[in-house]
Amino acid sequence: MSTKTIKFEIVTPEKVVLKQEILQITVPTASGEITVLPDHIPLVSILQPGVIEIKRADNVVEIMAVSGGFLEVMKDKVVILADTAERAEELDEARIKEAREKAEKLKEEAKNVDDVQFTNIASKIEKELARERALNKWRRLKNVNPGK
Amino acid sequence: MAKTKEISRRIKSVSSTKKITKAMEMVAAAKMRKAIEAVLKTRTYANLSWETVLRLAEISKSKNENLHPLLLPRAKVSKAAIILITSNRGMCGAYNSAVIAKAKESIARHPIPTDFILTGKKGTIIRNQNYEIAAEFEKSDILTDAREIYPLVKMVLEDYQSGKYDKILVAYTDFISAARQVPRVKQLLPVEIEKVDQYLGVISSEDKVGVTPELIAAKEEKHLSAGDYVYEYTFEPSASEVLDKMIPRLLEIQLYQAFLEANASEHSASMSAMHQATEAASDMVSELTLFYNKVRQAGITAEIAEISAGANALAE
Repeated sequence: MSTKTIKFEIVTPEKVVLKQEILQITVPTASGEITVLPDHIPLVSILQPGVIEIKRADNVVEIMAVSGGFLEVMKDKVVILADTAERAEELDEARIKEAREKAEKLKEEAKNVDDVQFTNIASKIEKELARERALNKWRRLKNVNPGK
Repeated sequence: MAKTKEISRRIKSVSSTKKITKAMEMVAAAKMRKAIEAVLKTRTYANLSWETVLRLAEISKSKNENLHPLLLPRAKVSKAAIILITSNRGMCGAYNSAVIAKAKESIARHPIPTDFILTGKKGTIIRNQNYEIAAEFEKSDILTDAREIYPLVKMVLEDYQSGKYDKILVAYTDFISAARQVPRVKQLLPVEIEKVDQYLGVISSEDKVGVTPELIAAKEEKHLSAGDYVYEYTFEPSASEVLDKMIPRLLEIQLYQAFLEANASEHSASMSAMHQATEAASDMVSELTLFYNKVRQAGITAEIAEISAGANALAE
């Protein structure tokens, strides 16, 4: 394992979520999941709602849920401009489930609403799903039994 | 005695004015705190995203390759639009007049026909001044959601893409500190790197707040080149797809940030204006009190003189 690190920064319109040196990062992009290691070629891509996995310089793995945005990769730097981003340990399972169920119910009821509203609901569901996945992944990682 | 009564009435009226300005100062301070919090929250995002867009604009220019229509300056600029961000209320010192003057100055510098797009009630003063007004938008005092400005962004993008305007500018007041706000005009479209001298937020290379061409060049050198070789960006899935999504979104954020800066400035300006008013009222009260005492003393002296003169006359 090389000791080369990447300067990583993830910001949302709300705040700077995380800014530190990392070893590698896996992000969901529009054309599939990619892993960025140091000395990656410069890249600009669209972020999909999903789970980001970061390996910090101290070998600790961090999981985050994002809901779309943009990714900019430079030689030794990665910048993520996310719409929202939450760290897995800050997520609350009950709240996520509730939000998703509510959104799905809305979707059921909203078969005949206009396109814009429908896209809004669909993206909301996707966002909650991403949160759920992030939480599950984090639990597996930390060996926490879900449901307890 | 009639004179002292009049003075005491004036003292009373000035001190009640003082009470009002003091209360307004407090209100403005509370609003300012909120607005500053909001502006600081999004600043990093806005600056980082603007940096990315500018870098892409530069690449597009240096390679003479048209990455995206929004990045390309038009050969002939025949009409421009300027978005003017003003406040809804007065009582904020020179805040509105400063930004309006700045907007007019920038129009005078580039003699292109320019339409105004007004936001905020105080901007409507422009109406009587022989300028073309394309649209007027309402603005809330405290902006909390970027969605509030989507209609404006949509209109501006459509008008730009349809060729109605060849340049979009925004005039707003940059918030530097509670005591200092600077009116600025910034070019939103097309995205051009030479035009970024008028930045959002305070510039410092340390925490990367604010964007200048130098900063971008330095960053490019640091993060994008190895020896003489300069890396090129790859776009996934494709340049046009990425930029189609990215540039409008980031413009939205830029404009939103401009609104937040303007809001924070407005409330800071109104707070300091009200603070000055309160101080002026205090000065006036103390001056009047002094005058009142002098008049009262003069009255007493005159009375004593009269009485003793009367007593003297009786004794003789």
